[in-house]
Amino acid sequence: MKNILKKSIAVVAVAITLVSCSKSDDAITGTGALKVEFENGFADNALVLGSATVPTSQNEVLKISSVKYIVSNIVLTKEDGTTFTYPKEQSYFIVDEATPSSLLLNLSNVPAANYKSIKFGIGVDQAQYDLGQTGIANFWTDAQNAGMTWSWASGFKFLAFEGTFTSSNVTTDTSFMIHTGKTGTDYNYAEVSLNLPTNALVRTNITPQIHLSTDLSQIIDGTNKINLTAHNGMGMGAMIMGGADLPLISANLASMFSVEHVHNDSN
Amino acid sequence: MKINYLILFILPLMWSCSKDDSTEYVDVPLELKVPSNFPPLVYNIVQNPPTEKGFELGKKIFYDGRLSSDGTISCGFCHIQQNAFTHHGHTVSHGVNNASGTRNSPSIQNMAFQTQFMWDGAADNLDFQPVIPLISSVEMNGNFGNIIAMMKADPNYVKLFGQAFKNKQINTENMFKALSQFMVMNISANSRFDKYRRNESGGTLTADELAGYSVFNSKCATCHATDMFTDNSFRNNGLAVNPLVNDTGRYRLTQLPQDYYKFKVPSLRNVELTAPYMHDGRFGTLDAVLNHYSNAVVNSATLDPVLNQNGALGIPLSATEKIQIIAFLKTLTDYQYITDTRFSE
Repeated sequence: MKNILKKSIAVVAVAITLVSCSKSDDAITGTGALKVEFENGFADNALVLGSATVPTSQNEVLKISSVKYIVSNIVLTKEDGTTFTYPKEQSYFIVDEATPSSLLLNLSNVPAANYKSIKFGIGVDQAQYDLGQTGIANFWTDAQNAGMTWSWASGFKFLAFEGTFTSSNVTTDTSFMIHTGKTGTDYNYAEVSLNLPTNALVRTNITPQIHLSTDLSQIIDGTNKINLTAHNGMGMGAMIMGGADLPLISANLASMFSVEHVHNDSN
Repeated sequence: MKINYLILFILPLMWSCSKDDSTEYVDVPLELKVPSNFPPLVYNIVQNPPTEKGFELGKKIFYDGRLSSDGTISCGFCHIQQNAFTHHGHTVSHGVNNASGTRNSPSIQNMAFQTQFMWDGAADNLDFQPVIPLISSVEMNGNFGNIIAMMKADPNYVKLFGQAFKNKQINTENMFKALSQFMVMNISANSRFDKYRRNESGGTLTADELAGYSVFNSKCATCHATDMFTDNSFRNNGLAVNPLVNDTGRYRLTQLPQDYYKFKVPSLRNVELTAPYMHDGRFGTLDAVLNHYSNAVVNSATLDPVLNQNGALGIPLSATEKIQIIAFLKTLTDYQYITDTRFSE
């Protein structure tokens, strides 16, 4: 009896070990999907197009009518430090506040893994310009439909941020337009790197969702402070599409994003 | 016996017919020979090697007015071969709906050897250059979605895209690659001057032409450098600003004050055929151009320093020197190029 008990305990123990072994050895295989959601805000507030924002450090109040940006070159870093680069030619997205579906990027064929960080670009990088049209596929069509091409310069608007503003010197709503992009002297491409507070567990049956917050105030009120009133010298509005401030604005974009949270929901 | 011979004749015909009608990829590379007197090739040929069918597709696109919003304006509308691919006689070119631009259409030969395009450098990669006239509202005003849909519905385009590209995709990438293949092969290198430089037969210059070359080298070649006759730089050459247009030149692109009124130094190849001259076509003759440099340069904050030596504006040129320079410039005309049927509509 005792022997039998001992034997059965041993059997059970071995079985448990085997089970747990097989469980931890259960390699994460296959591919899954991943969603990246962008939620645009201004300072601590949600973005409401057409409504007055809180004042910037320059004491300027904006009414934002439109904000769009190109998200590109998505790279995901796994727990072990290795990376997965989303295919470059499939990696161009246009996020447009006025088009709700564009705020959610759907990445497919992502290798199943535990991802700890995400990197992406705002705009089109120099390597792509050097490649010429290779890899562009039909992005010109998407970009033109979204109003993200220029007719007087060849290339894409990386960020288009538009609306009106007022300040102590500019008392009536006066338009502003900030368009970043390659200007002939600068590429103005911005790279964003974000650690995830919780790993994104991509599995064949789990599609994690990375929820990002975008603080649009950082465009003009980040590390570099941009005074729109100073760009309204002719009284024709503050139009910033080049010049010395554009690289400063582009540099601000890197710190415009933060990770709100990560969902790891089963499909 | 007779019938057998007939079949032998007919069979190859059927073959070539079926071959040409199929959308199978046709891998016949075009050789791009860099003329020995040219600077090195700039265009990245490895990313987009020209093929016979890619070139043919590019040419079809170049001459197709359906790319424009009203179906009338093709690339070839403003770039006419007999005028060395310029819009001869037009100070500025007009686009769809009779819209008028503000700049003179430049010649398009030897683009693969240049680093900057458009009068202000709005493109610095040949692959990106055609985007601008294609979507500019005063030029072709094209819509990529409509253009791609039009091409997908046209059996000739379906066939040519299939023959030109392995992935057979009718998309913006392949459209621009085909256009680049057409432009890359667009080389003018057989003027009398070229033959003179390469010591080839037919390369004899007269005494006046040689004297003109010598004056040119000492007084013009700082900017119109190499046998491409441009250093790809942007300069303010002292033109009086037309207040009705106030074209600020490269400033429009960079919005940097130092770039006010700077325009690209144009190549002078085939210059005899490309009147009128300057970014806005303000000068009708080469005499007028040289008179500007000798007598009419206007000073301003961004005037190129080479045109303001010790307070003397412009370039000192005697009447004889002007005649000699113009005699020399006419040796840059490449009659073979402007009649080459490979580039013809």
